[in-house]
Amino acid sequence: MKDKINGILSEAKNKISEAASEGELQNVKSAYIGKQGALSLLMKEIPTLDVSLRPEMGKLLNQAKNEVKDLIDEKRVELKLKASEVSPDFDCSVPGIMPSGGGLHPITQMCYDLNDAFRSMGFEIFEEDEITSEMYAFDKLNFPPNHPARESMDTYWLEGHDSGSTNEKLCLRPHLTGGSVRYMQTHKPPYRFVYPGRVYRNETTDAHHERAFFQYEALIVDKDITFTSGKVMINSILSKVFGRDVPVRMRSGFFPFVEPGFEIDMQCQVCGGKGCSVCKHVGWIEVMPGGSPHPNVLRAAGLDPDEYTGFYVNIGLDRLVMMRYGVDDVRLFHSADLRFLKQFR
Amino acid sequence: MKLSLSWIKDYVNIPEDADLKKLAYDLTMSTVEVEDVEELARRFDNMLVGVIEKIEPHPNADRLRVCKVDIGGGEIKDIVCGGINLKEGMRVAVSCPGAVVRWHGEGEPVVIKNSKLRGVESYGMICASDEIGLGELFPAEQEAEILDLSAFDVPAGTFLADALDMNDILLEIDNKSMTNRPDLWGHYGIAREIAALYDLPLKEIKPFETDVQSDFRVEIEAPDRCTRYIGVEMSGVSVKPSPYKMQNRIWKAGMRPINALVDITNYVMLAVGNPTHAFDADNITDHIVVRHASEGEKLLLLNDNELTLCEDDLVITDSEGPVALAGVMGGAKDSILPKTERVILEVANFEAAGIRRTALRYDTRTEASSRYEKAIDPERCDQALALSMHYFKELYPELKVTGFCDNYVKKLEGAQIDVSLTWLEKRLGKHLTDDEIQGKLEKLGFEVQIDGDNMHVTAPTWRSTGDISIKDDVMEEVARMYGYDNFDATAFTTSFTGAINQKDKSLVRNIKEYLAVRCGMQEVYTYPWMNDVFVNAVLQNTDGILRLSTPPAPDLGYIRSSLLPNLCEAVVKNERYFNDFSIFEEAQVFFDKNYTSVYDETESLPEQRRHIGAAFASSVKDINTLFREAKGVLEYMPRYTHMEAYEFRKEEKPVWADNVVWLNIYLDDQKIGDMGLVAKKVSMECGVKNLSVMLFELDTTKLKPLKSRTNKFTHLAEYPETDYDISMLFDADAAWHDIYDAIMGKKKASALLKDASFVDEYRGKQIPSGKKSVTIRLTIGSDEKTLTSQEIESAANQVMKKLGKKMNAELRTQ
Repeated sequence: MKDKINGILSEAKNKISEAASEGELQNVKSAYIGKQGALSLLMKEIPTLDVSLRPEMGKLLNQAKNEVKDLIDEKRVELKLKASEVSPDFDCSVPGIMPSGGGLHPITQMCYDLNDAFRSMGFEIFEEDEITSEMYAFDKLNFPPNHPARESMDTYWLEGHDSGSTNEKLCLRPHLTGGSVRYMQTHKPPYRFVYPGRVYRNETTDAHHERAFFQYEALIVDKDITFTSGKVMINSILSKVFGRDVPVRMRSGFFPFVEPGFEIDMQCQVCGGKGCSVCKHVGWIEVMPGGSPHPNVLRAAGLDPDEYTGFYVNIGLDRLVMMRYGVDDVRLFHSADLRFLKQFR
Repeated sequence: MKLSLSWIKDYVNIPEDADLKKLAYDLTMSTVEVEDVEELARRFDNMLVGVIEKIEPHPNADRLRVCKVDIGGGEIKDIVCGGINLKEGMRVAVSCPGAVVRWHGEGEPVVIKNSKLRGVESYGMICASDEIGLGELFPAEQEAEILDLSAFDVPAGTFLADALDMNDILLEIDNKSMTNRPDLWGHYGIAREIAALYDLPLKEIKPFETDVQSDFRVEIEAPDRCTRYIGVEMSGVSVKPSPYKMQNRIWKAGMRPINALVDITNYVMLAVGNPTHAFDADNITDHIVVRHASEGEKLLLLNDNELTLCEDDLVITDSEGPVALAGVMGGAKDSILPKTERVILEVANFEAAGIRRTALRYDTRTEASSRYEKAIDPERCDQALALSMHYFKELYPELKVTGFCDNYVKKLEGAQIDVSLTWLEKRLGKHLTDDEIQGKLEKLGFEVQIDGDNMHVTAPTWRSTGDISIKDDVMEEVARMYGYDNFDATAFTTSFTGAINQKDKSLVRNIKEYLAVRCGMQEVYTYPWMNDVFVNAVLQNTDGILRLSTPPAPDLGYIRSSLLPNLCEAVVKNERYFNDFSIFEEAQVFFDKNYTSVYDETESLPEQRRHIGAAFASSVKDINTLFREAKGVLEYMPRYTHMEAYEFRKEEKPVWADNVVWLNIYLDDQKIGDMGLVAKKVSMECGVKNLSVMLFELDTTKLKPLKSRTNKFTHLAEYPETDYDISMLFDADAAWHDIYDAIMGKKKASALLKDASFVDEYRGKQIPSGKKSVTIRLTIGSDEKTLTSQEIESAANQVMKKLGKKMNAELRTQ
């Protein structure tokens, strides 16, 4: 009987280790320790044995049964760890389900990126109404009456408000700077603010010209500002937008509301400054005008230009977004075309 | 403005080996934007002067000839040509293979190749002037006329660029970058700037002197508008072509040569920037008077436009009337005529703003007016006069000056400015020595005296007509001469008084991010003007809506008082590609009312607010789902974006909305917006095909951001709570609002009710007509113990009983 037990035990051990699934294991279990299992049947033979052998054989049998049971449990855990709940041909390459299909307009995204950067430098965010008077569009910005620069910004005048003196003539703002004067009139210096907004020019449109486009103005006015402080502002903007330091150059430029005035160019990010069709082969791209607010502008805002000075830049957001993503038609921004907008998430 | 480098070199000695790229770069960095540097000769690559040896008929074409052309180096080539003026012995321009031409001066550039024309091999082509871009320099008199270069005494095979003096560099300067620099509008001005930048000597233009005595005079009756007028009366001139060199330069600068008399005046203007004009002296009766025009006075201009003048115009007149519109354009009658033998040369200075007004009034912007309107200094007349007389004498050796008058009303003095050196250093953010500062300014023609901290500066006259007037202007001159790029960036310092906290700005951003990120909506931008179709369909009324004077298109005149028309247009545009989408826009809207301004009491601006609008469009969802989606976005917005909650009411149907599906949005008893389903009629008028469209619009300016987050903590339930769904039949018009109120209102249906929520409603099969089935989820629990299933059942039964009594509801039997 002892040999029988050991024989069955070693047979069971083999079967357990060979079992490849829980089902097979279950079969092994019933074959050896189930009600009709080999070991259970042997148990029934115990009463037929010599009384002196019964305790030892009973003990052996029970040990064997327990051993098989433990091995089966062990094996079951092992199989569980190895197995999957689904069939092995489950396709993990199917795409996931999009959590939410929405998105902000790419210009809003750019604007918020810049807001975050400037807020971290202690700038406020300012907004102003889009309809303004000629007085704030031009007079307060040191554009003399009849100055050609007034004409360079072809303006949308409002019907019924398109004649008379400059405080009566109303238009869709041709730039943001007039709004900055409003800010300065109603706040106490020092100033440190950014001013994002849409501006309007009565122009013929093409891939590079729009009637409605976005500017981002940043202005700092304090007692001890030099125009070289402006370089910090410019670098912050561009490194935020492009994620790395972008070489810039400041060159002489004329805008009536600044003195001195600059054109600020950045290295063409398409060719890395080597010259390509995007930068007209000069390696640089004009991105923003800048300068120190003209003394007359500061005066218009009620400040003493001998005491205060500042630095200002005005960035064309559309152009920056176009550079960042390689968008080749500025009119797409106002197209409300979801095929375009869905690309920016 | 186009400039010829060889012309600039007449006035400043730029070294032959100068790096032109660097020159253009330096000018761009310090002075004006050089947009292009063109090596002109490249246009004439592979073009030669050829001599036609023999002309033979073409075997297969009547209108073509086969020319034997000597192209130098002993080579005679066959070239097929259809020119009507071909002659043996004629010098012609030959475009050899590789040259780039435009057929008949039109269309895209074409590269010449060896080719067969009607079966005869042709080596390149014999060119007409417009085919090689010279149509303005050598205008053809008739169709198919070949450019005749016989007047150029050069051997066959000479490069065309050499023969025509095209070995030059053209600088293209952005006019916008020099609107403030009248002194730069000419070759001499740019030469002066280059001289200053590189410390090179500038050639002086020697003044013209005369001792002629006569009774020739000029009267200025409008000294406010004419600061100086020099008249020179001359005899011994005639109308003839000017020398090729002069024509060539005028052409390079972008103008067209006309005849010697006119060319001299244009040449002088392009050289020194001061326009000049010549009158036929025999047509000037008595003497010249500069005066305001009389109201209604007529003047026929050189361009054949007859103007009816007004008093604000300045005219040059003789005793019979106006002969020219001062500073803008000459009159047709008295300017240079084919038979002109005596001229009066005008070298004058006019006040800028007046010239500009006149030029704009008659839409007549000319090379002259565009220069005068920048404010030229009157001292420059001396240079213009000297240069004019130099060329008159050179071109007309027989010339006699018979009259001269220089009427200089008010001599322009250089602007005097005091600059504190401490101030200058502070603004520059860099210390420069007195010598450095003085040196940089003197190179630009400034006189500088430094006395302690004060620097007294006298600006040159050519910078004193408005360009340089305050110390900031002087600072700019020093900085740009030093080079903006040579200043290091300096950090700005500031004192922080507290965190920046702009609730209103944050709220708008929160809303946009909520809609885009949480609600899965796409932000769009549309223009502020609205299409009439959508205004009529959606707003149905234009009262109180502002209009543009000159809209982008006739049907885009109204500017928005609501975001909805443009959102509907966006829906229509996108229906082609999408059948289920939601969009929103946040933008300014305008109203023709409540004019006011907080900034200036004389200013009055219309009411301007900001709105947020949205459209939910779908052809795959039912109206119920679409409605609940839109309403859900609105309902959860206050919670997620931290603003005061608003409520829905049903008070006033928006004009565009369906008769049943709409709500008004109220905050503090004030209506701040609407939502609803776009009525079928409206959506048809908009051009929507299959989509159902749900809209909402809120007045963003009326929303109230919370001061801080206001979530409240509630303890977690100590004993389990159970969700228990019941479905009951209600009258079809029973409102969820009332059902909820019956369950959870003041007297709760059961003390054990924690909450009741809407699961869904169903009408249709198995539901009797006039009824609907509503499934409600009850949350049942106790603060004191775990409930038994009997207790839960009994709480639910209480609810059903109450609904039965109050709402006429019955349990669904099926």
